[in-house]
Amino acid sequence: MAGTASQASLLLQKQLRDLAKNPVDGFSAGLVDDSNVFEWQVTIIGPPDTLYDGGYFNAIMTFPQNYPNSPPSVRFTSEMWHPNVYPDGRVCISILHPPGEDPNGYELASERWTPVHTVESIVLSIISMLSSPNDESPANIEAAKDWREKRDEFKKKVRQCVRKSQEMF
Amino acid sequence: MDSEDDMHDANDSADDDFYSGGEAGLAASDDGDADYDFADHDSDDSAELLSHRQQQNYSILSEDDIKQRQEDDINRVSTVLSISKSEACVLLRNYNWSVSKVHDEWFADEERVRKAVGLPEKCIEMPDDREVTCGICFESCPHGSMSAAACGHPFCSTCWRGYISTAINDGPGCLMLRCPDPSCAAAVGQDMINSLADDEDKEKYGRYLRRSYIEDNRKTKWCPAPGCEYAVEFVMGSGSYDVNCNCSYGFCWNCTEEAHRPVDCATVSKWILKNSAESENMNWILANSKPCPKCKRPIEKNQGCMHITCTPPCKFEFCWLCLGPWSEHGERTGGFYACNRYESARQEGAYDESERRREMAKNSLERYTHYYERWAANQSSRQKALGDLQSLQNDKLEKLSDIQSQPESQLKFIIEAWLQIVECRRVLKWTYAYGFYLPEHEHAKRQFFEYLQGEAESGLERLHQCAEKELQTYLEAESPSKDFNDFRTKLAGLTSVTRNYFENLVRALETGLNDVGPSTSHGTCSKSATSKSLGGKSKSSKNRASNTSTKSGGPSRGMDDSNIWTCDQCTFANPKSARACQACDRPHR
Repeated sequence: MAGTASQASLLLQKQLRDLAKNPVDGFSAGLVDDSNVFEWQVTIIGPPDTLYDGGYFNAIMTFPQNYPNSPPSVRFTSEMWHPNVYPDGRVCISILHPPGEDPNGYELASERWTPVHTVESIVLSIISMLSSPNDESPANIEAAKDWREKRDEFKKKVRQCVRKSQEMF
Repeated sequence: MDSEDDMHDANDSADDDFYSGGEAGLAASDDGDADYDFADHDSDDSAELLSHRQQQNYSILSEDDIKQRQEDDINRVSTVLSISKSEACVLLRNYNWSVSKVHDEWFADEERVRKAVGLPEKCIEMPDDREVTCGICFESCPHGSMSAAACGHPFCSTCWRGYISTAINDGPGCLMLRCPDPSCAAAVGQDMINSLADDEDKEKYGRYLRRSYIEDNRKTKWCPAPGCEYAVEFVMGSGSYDVNCNCSYGFCWNCTEEAHRPVDCATVSKWILKNSAESENMNWILANSKPCPKCKRPIEKNQGCMHITCTPPCKFEFCWLCLGPWSEHGERTGGFYACNRYESARQEGAYDESERRREMAKNSLERYTHYYERWAANQSSRQKALGDLQSLQNDKLEKLSDIQSQPESQLKFIIEAWLQIVECRRVLKWTYAYGFYLPEHEHAKRQFFEYLQGEAESGLERLHQCAEKELQTYLEAESPSKDFNDFRTKLAGLTSVTRNYFENLVRALETGLNDVGPSTSHGTCSKSATSKSLGGKSKSSKNRASNTSTKSGGPSRGMDDSNIWTCDQCTFANPKSARACQACDRPHR
């Protein structure tokens, strides 16, 4: 499978170059370790006019050897309080689900992972997740409960995360 | 539109003819292996066999048959709807391979169907530039090395191959593959798979497609036997659910458990659930233990005195007999080891409730054990018989033919005997599940059932013994035995007698033992037409049934009743009115 691995690393290097040349608003991206193109460090700026406004959230994207045919996994290293982020920081959104998880195609085609997705499109999805949480199938149940029933409590915890992220930055 | 409809009809009927022809051919060739060819003692048998053939309401499909049918269905849809084969395949897959459903939906609202399954009406060509950028790897590639589904989204062949290969290796979901563009729902059909995937993936895709054809289709199922690759197409409607696959496994179409005629699917599933369920453990605990009076954990008393100390952390000390605290068992109660409060408490009725529950649980456990043991014993006996039959066919028959100087064709009666044993063990096994669920208060039915079961079982035991033990002596002989012909007569006789016993049993159970009991409907004759695999004659058993059942039911032999005479050849109990034995046709002297 050397062929697919080199395809993956070529593609990732290309994306890295493109992002360095034309940065996208809302996040910055780079490698954790310059010798390993499969592990990215991204910093997501909390989207304006949301509870996360002003935060700088670090996350690690880990790509599989057969990228882009399988999705990367994304984990926040900054503290995060959100219904779709597991307590250990892993991000749970449908486009990051491996394609095999839904063989019957109940999820819409547009919601599943497809090889067309790039670092940019994934991060944009995460940013949109931050501004509109999906509490239907929560990864962090406590956060989802707060979001639904105790919005003030939720806001407080998110503000704490934002402050901490600013201190760390 | 008219002309299209006509074409559709003409096409349909032509294909139907083809299918019915094909089925007849298949069925005829199956009978040789699948249906047991019992010895023809009288001419009825061949007629009976013929009627079975007509009744067969299923056909066994080999891999080639499956391919052929799938191909035919795809071609039919493709011609009628004027779409490509690959598109027809996508359509059929979406509508569970029902040709008529595809036609209905398509002609009702073509646009909606196209949208739902991802077949755009007009193919969009890829951008016409000489160099096109692949949407996945962002490389610019020459136009010729790019491909797109009907939606025209271009990707390079390397990326396509990776996309398709990942999907195929993820499982049957690849049959619903769509264009990689997230905003696009265009279907990726077999034509693209075939032009882009490597051979191994193509092969896998084809397998998934065939599996889907069998599994998603309501009219077909795989044979559930391990390792069997045949599928079965079943025609709903009349007749029994029993299917005999070409691999020799018999199963029930309705519940895909092994064949269980004459017992119905509901009883079988209840029985199987009971065998696996925890309920029997519970019954055992109830019957053999008492709960600690303090912490309620069940305690089994397996030895020693009545002074029980519950295990930590409870450590409650109590008397096993009265369940009272041991501290009260001073002299007042008549000494430590002679709890007389038990008797007095029992007289007061203090323990009646729990005592009765325990007693009932114990009875029900014993009752279940009785039936289960017999069910399981017949199961393993059948397994053994299958093995014996196999080894007989593999080499023993040849050996016997050498020793006894008989051509193998003359030894067919032994195979028939063993086939009969295998089938009877199966039936007998399930009658124990039936017996377990037969309501206890229906005394007449229960007696009649146990009588028939007893008759059948003792007949089978004689047959099995003869086929197993006596055959052995002829196998071990040095030279042709003089009495080999007697053995032949005996074994063939026992085979046919046993078959008759089981036929009676099966028929009686299938009519719900209606010959006795409150509803005396005589539906025996009409129903008997469906008794297929057991073959043989079906003389009316009604008289015998109602006569014997009113008398002592059990399997006791030699019922010297004035209403009954016992055949001295096969010991079958015949009603007085019968002039010849109903089981073996021997005249009554």
